[in-house]
Amino acid sequence: MIIRRLSIRNFGKIHNRTMDLTPGINVLYGENESGKTTVHQFIKSMLYGITRQRGRASKNDVYSTYEPWENPADYGGTMWFECRNEDFRLTRNFYKERPYSELLSEDSGAITDADKGSLDMLLGDVSEAVYDNTVSVGQLKSVTGLDLVRELQNYMASYQGTGDSSIDLARAKQMLKMTRKGYQVQDDRNRRELQKEQDKISANMEYVNREIAEIRERQEEQKEHSEEENRRTVQEQEILRQAASIGSRMKLCSFFYTIVFAVCIVLALFVFKEFNLRAAVAGVGILSLLILALRIQILKKQKIQLRKIRKRLKRRQAEADRQTDAISAELAEKKKNYFNLKAEFQEYEDKKYSRSTQQDEIEALTLAMDTIEELSGRMVNRMGEDLRRRTSEILSEITGGKYEEVLMDEQLHMSVNTEERVIPLERLSRGTLEQIYFALRMAAGELFTGTEPFPVILDDVFGMYDEERLLGVLGWLSREKRQVIISTCSKREMELLDKAGIPYRRLPMQEEME
Amino acid sequence: MRFIHLADVHLGAIPDKGCAWSSKRQEEIWETFRKIIEGIRKNPVDMLLIAGDLFHRQPLLRELKEVNYLFSTIPDTRVYLIAGNHDYIRKDSRYRDFQWSENVLFFRSESVRCVKDPLLDVYIYGFSYRHREIRENVLEGLQPDEGEGMHILLAHGGDDTHVPLDVKALSAAGFDYIALGHIHKPDILLKNRAAFSGAPEPLDHTETGPHGYIEGKTVNGRLKISFVPAAMRSYETITLLLDEESTQGSLEEELKDRILKNGADNLYQVLLEGTRSPDLMLIPEKLRMLGNVLDVTDHSRPAYDLEVLRRQYHGTLAGDYLDYFADRDLSPVEEKALYYGIQALLG
Repeated sequence: MIIRRLSIRNFGKIHNRTMDLTPGINVLYGENESGKTTVHQFIKSMLYGITRQRGRASKNDVYSTYEPWENPADYGGTMWFECRNEDFRLTRNFYKERPYSELLSEDSGAITDADKGSLDMLLGDVSEAVYDNTVSVGQLKSVTGLDLVRELQNYMASYQGTGDSSIDLARAKQMLKMTRKGYQVQDDRNRRELQKEQDKISANMEYVNREIAEIRERQEEQKEHSEEENRRTVQEQEILRQAASIGSRMKLCSFFYTIVFAVCIVLALFVFKEFNLRAAVAGVGILSLLILALRIQILKKQKIQLRKIRKRLKRRQAEADRQTDAISAELAEKKKNYFNLKAEFQEYEDKKYSRSTQQDEIEALTLAMDTIEELSGRMVNRMGEDLRRRTSEILSEITGGKYEEVLMDEQLHMSVNTEERVIPLERLSRGTLEQIYFALRMAAGELFTGTEPFPVILDDVFGMYDEERLLGVLGWLSREKRQVIISTCSKREMELLDKAGIPYRRLPMQEEME
Repeated sequence: MRFIHLADVHLGAIPDKGCAWSSKRQEEIWETFRKIIEGIRKNPVDMLLIAGDLFHRQPLLRELKEVNYLFSTIPDTRVYLIAGNHDYIRKDSRYRDFQWSENVLFFRSESVRCVKDPLLDVYIYGFSYRHREIRENVLEGLQPDEGEGMHILLAHGGDDTHVPLDVKALSAAGFDYIALGHIHKPDILLKNRAAFSGAPEPLDHTETGPHGYIEGKTVNGRLKISFVPAAMRSYETITLLLDEESTQGSLEEELKDRILKNGADNLYQVLLEGTRSPDLMLIPEKLRMLGNVLDVTDHSRPAYDLEVLRRQYHGTLAGDYLDYFADRDLSPVEEKALYYGIQALLG
């Protein structure tokens, strides 16, 4: 792409300004604050439009920054450029209420809406982010040596791994890792909490289990006890039976004595007439009556005793039965308790192995990390070596062959190879670091913009260059046949270009007093 | 005639295990049941129908005694009780030999039995679970007996593994009312003819909305049923709609207000929706600390316009990353991954 002409109608502080550019070197010269950056932003905004920020951020976004104070409705301009061997005219008005974009093919006369894809087609692989990374080259920001080295190494690594020098891949990965760690810790804590609850139930189950064992033991004892009782019952029943047989024998005896008594009385009263005989028979009768009374007395006592024994027996039996029942009821209750605890235990088990919300986050973060790793690896494979090789070539050319090769190891440490030795970046002067940086940006520009070369905007990049280095770079730029816009606030570049006889066009920001 | 239809009381359940209010909730389940009985004592109904899962697990003897005591305090009400899949009549179940109070009729059989109410011309049909699951529709083809009067079916189930019953068919077969249990959300399936009473107290965060029981009464000879709320608390969802101005502090404030407005006793699930500023690092855990918050689900998205970003970053890692997730249906995890990655890459 070659920019032919800019016509800025209203953009930031610039009004109605037209600039014609050459396909070679253009020097945009002006004091600080004279509007050079505005020109850069104009070019970019023409190509990519202005994406508005939302919410609070919109107060300081690009749109607001470059919105003209007067005539805000007339916000934009026109740019003529050549792309893929065709001439175009691009006109835009950024005004938010009535945005307008028109792309005219000057060759075919076709007019299209630039925002509806026609411009994207022309720009091809050069997205806004790629443009930011390759077309517009600023100065290294760091001031001191070590920071500078780190910055440069980051640039190289980012270009290789992300194609975007504004992305700090290591920081991004670290951020994801930390977030994942946070969720991991939370998840672990929740699981521990669940485990604790489950352990409690488990302990409870053990306790109930022990109780069940105890009850079983008691049941056993009770059984023995009742067997013992049974034996005693059998014994006592024996006694009862004996007592019963004794009773019946006694009844027989009583019957016998009653008969004897009756016979004696009959004999005494009616048979025997003689007194002595009568008295003797009556005596025997009375004696048997006495014996009978005695017997009856004994029998009564025995009966009472037997009844007592029987009662005791019954009571003991009932007591034993009651206890047996009570124990088996207790056992049943404990078993139920145990069963319920087991069900609860299982619920925790299920919960433990169910998915937590944290796990979703952890999985998502892992997927993000893996995907970034994978895609970045692919990018390194695609670009990494080419970028290093092309950087080396450019570096060699602008230093007149002093440095032949740029090297980068696994830890992303960079060094340069001279004819004789390898020198780590830390040992190089700021000037040389700037040269490596320049070579890197140029190489990136070529690699990332694809087949159609894009202009390069060098924004105050040569401040730290000595004369020799600057000449080397300018010479290389003129040989490369790329459109270059050198943006500067000093006249050094122009003086050197004049001195070296390199053709260029001046684009003064202020009207020059010549 | 007036009755109360109750189900899925789940006495003995411990909701939200691990949360501060868990044991309190366990007590509240009993409390609400007692209150319902107390209400019946003051204003007796003819029948109390309990459609299963009165207990969360196998009932202990003391629990049965407690419940039976409560039933004995409403002697003018006949209690018809069946066992559900939670308190199914296991081989060693206490249900088997428990002596209920005179006014309680417990259906022991797994096949449907019919009893006539001793005082009214009402026939009650019921069956209990003797297994954890009943996969057959044991009610298929069931028809009410010939008796003159009202025919009420008491049943527990309604999903694939718990009696996949067909309410419409049963209603069409002639049951005047089908008192259902098993589904915890109250649901009147057929107006005045069939309903899940739902659990009187919600048991977990999925059981949002009001909970209570069904009251039925005949008005001019026709049965009318209505839902009566009884739960002490409810599970509610609060959706916080984020925008780019939202901050951690503003969300915490809003949530506090909303909880206060919705009742500080209720239990909340917080849902974050909408778009948030890409630089907001949200800490959902801090929202959880604000009271009865069960969990916080974050569905909010950083306010990125993915299509615009994709165009802007084409050719760089961020662009590749967006491409990787673009033009296809993303699983929830992938969508999260997309935003996590972009946020990390674009800072």
